[in-house]
Amino acid sequence: MLTNREVLSVLDMLRNEHLDLRTVTLGLSLLDCASDDIKRFNAKIYDRIARKAENLVTLCDQIGEKYGIPVVNKRVSVSPIAVAAAPFNSDEMTTIAQTLDRAAQTVQVDFIGGFSALVEKGMAVGDRALIEALPQALASTQRVCASINVASTRAGINMDAVLLLGRQIKAAAQLSAAQDGLACAKLCVFANIPQDIPFMAGAYLGVGEADAVINVGVSGPGVVKKAIDRAVAENPTMDLQQISELIKRTSYKVTRVGELIGREVAEKMGIRFGVVDLSLAPTPNVGDSVGEIFQSLGLKSIGVPGSTAALALLNDAVKKGGAFASSNVGGLSGAFIPVSEDLNIAEAARSGQLSLEKLEALTSVCSVGLDMVAVPGDTSAETLSAIMADEMAIGVINKKTTATRLIPVPGKKAGDFAKFGGLLGEATIMAVNNGQGENLFIRRGGLIPSPIHSLTN
Amino acid sequence: MKKFSISVLGQDRPGIIAAVTQVLFEQGFNIEDVSQTILQGEFSSIFIVAGPEKSDPQALVAILNKTTSALNMQFHVRELEGNPPKWTQSACQSFVITTFGPDQKGLVAQVTRVLADFNVNVTQLQAAFRGGDAPGSNYMIYEVDIPNDIDQQKLRDTLKGKCRQLNLDVSIQHKNIFEAVNRV
Repeated sequence: MLTNREVLSVLDMLRNEHLDLRTVTLGLSLLDCASDDIKRFNAKIYDRIARKAENLVTLCDQIGEKYGIPVVNKRVSVSPIAVAAAPFNSDEMTTIAQTLDRAAQTVQVDFIGGFSALVEKGMAVGDRALIEALPQALASTQRVCASINVASTRAGINMDAVLLLGRQIKAAAQLSAAQDGLACAKLCVFANIPQDIPFMAGAYLGVGEADAVINVGVSGPGVVKKAIDRAVAENPTMDLQQISELIKRTSYKVTRVGELIGREVAEKMGIRFGVVDLSLAPTPNVGDSVGEIFQSLGLKSIGVPGSTAALALLNDAVKKGGAFASSNVGGLSGAFIPVSEDLNIAEAARSGQLSLEKLEALTSVCSVGLDMVAVPGDTSAETLSAIMADEMAIGVINKKTTATRLIPVPGKKAGDFAKFGGLLGEATIMAVNNGQGENLFIRRGGLIPSPIHSLTN
Repeated sequence: MKKFSISVLGQDRPGIIAAVTQVLFEQGFNIEDVSQTILQGEFSSIFIVAGPEKSDPQALVAILNKTTSALNMQFHVRELEGNPPKWTQSACQSFVITTFGPDQKGLVAQVTRVLADFNVNVTQLQAAFRGGDAPGSNYMIYEVDIPNDIDQQKLRDTLKGKCRQLNLDVSIQHKNIFEAVNRV
């Protein structure tokens, strides 16, 4: 027998606190679709996705209705295309992206991830072709997401790739100038990319994974914020250890939802269950914001002194609660701070309380990095590469995942407004300080070696 | 051995269970299941007991009335049949139906009429109507068993339609979600 409190608290989370299952992502291996004939390869991958993901959306909706928990996004991730489609040139890579886009449309998923390459130590032929194809591929598709892993703690940072990507991001922005550089919002550059991320734009199915796998991403920043607000209203002198405990418990509840539904979707599809990614992922809606949690914790805004400590507490407590709630935790797992996708963080960027430099500091303790950051359109490719290199260094040295999703908005300057639409949101363009002039360091290229694993200071 | 169900009603106070179970003990009954609740100071409980073959429901009521007269309780005793047929032959799933909305007469009757028409069995019901428009003040929580052989989509649609008429928000959720979220 359930108590009325058990029932009412869950309903409160659903009705007033935006509790939902943020994404169910079907990972599909395309490695056995290999061919040296582009038409044949495209036909095979289209069939594979259309067949395997045929029932994904319907099934997620049915199971969501059974439990009364909306599965907001249904997505597909595939093997890194640079590996699966290694023989093809960049024009052919673009047709592959368009095929993925068509397949995603057929199975009615909003995004498909895996237009990806892993180049942390060097670029193979397929990797180079894919990176060359990025601007055209992303500008000519709606649903395709790309990710490039340019660094890892074991390999170091591939600065040649970082330099090349700076140029490709500029080119992608130019090709989608009418939409404020939207193509760049579908490209993540990573250090230490996990193989099982369900969230976009970083989702792909790692080469060490099974043929097909269901990964789910839970969210719930609104639930965490309301839990803190309620507790602090009852006990205004609550200390940070008590708040951490509260976030842990709340994260447990949110994660259980993902675990239950994810396992059922996997079982019904006859596919193995992969991981729950227990991340606090905001959407551009009031009450569904990670930024608001900073205010509930007692800070004026994200970005003010104390923000890094607050984020460290939040990220750690989310992981602890989530890890206890699920036996399969993976992906990014932590708190996301995507500037344009979070109303509150976007406002902090507008008001100047959050600068790019502080955002970079925050990424050293959160789960991703400089995410959905709009920068002036005249930011040079070298400067973009330099920002990326800084972010990769944080990940490599601290043995964690970091990423950038930078959008140099064509024709706009710091303080202007950029609008990407839908989940990608809108934001004020952040200033890149001291970014003018040449950057010989970045232009040198080569590899920044992997770090020493002792003398940890 | 015979089995009996005993229901006990009256104003709540200390000593009711002690008095009732003392009688059962002295008369040679073994308690198999008990459930008890208190609503606005009113005590209610049901006991399932096994007793000697010679036991008689009327006689047991008489002894209970006599020995607990100071408590002013009401008793009802019924002998249980051996293996009564279950209300459905189909397997069932446990769902929780929750409604919120302003109080008016007939809410429980009209919601449960829909459930009954679909052969859905209510296993627990908690409801509170405190008046006013605050959703948290007026709720009904039904734990129900829904047989697999009924048209679940039609049940959902009919129930949602009825609740719209009654100005109620309704949700129908599998019970597992509440257990998964709340219990370790």
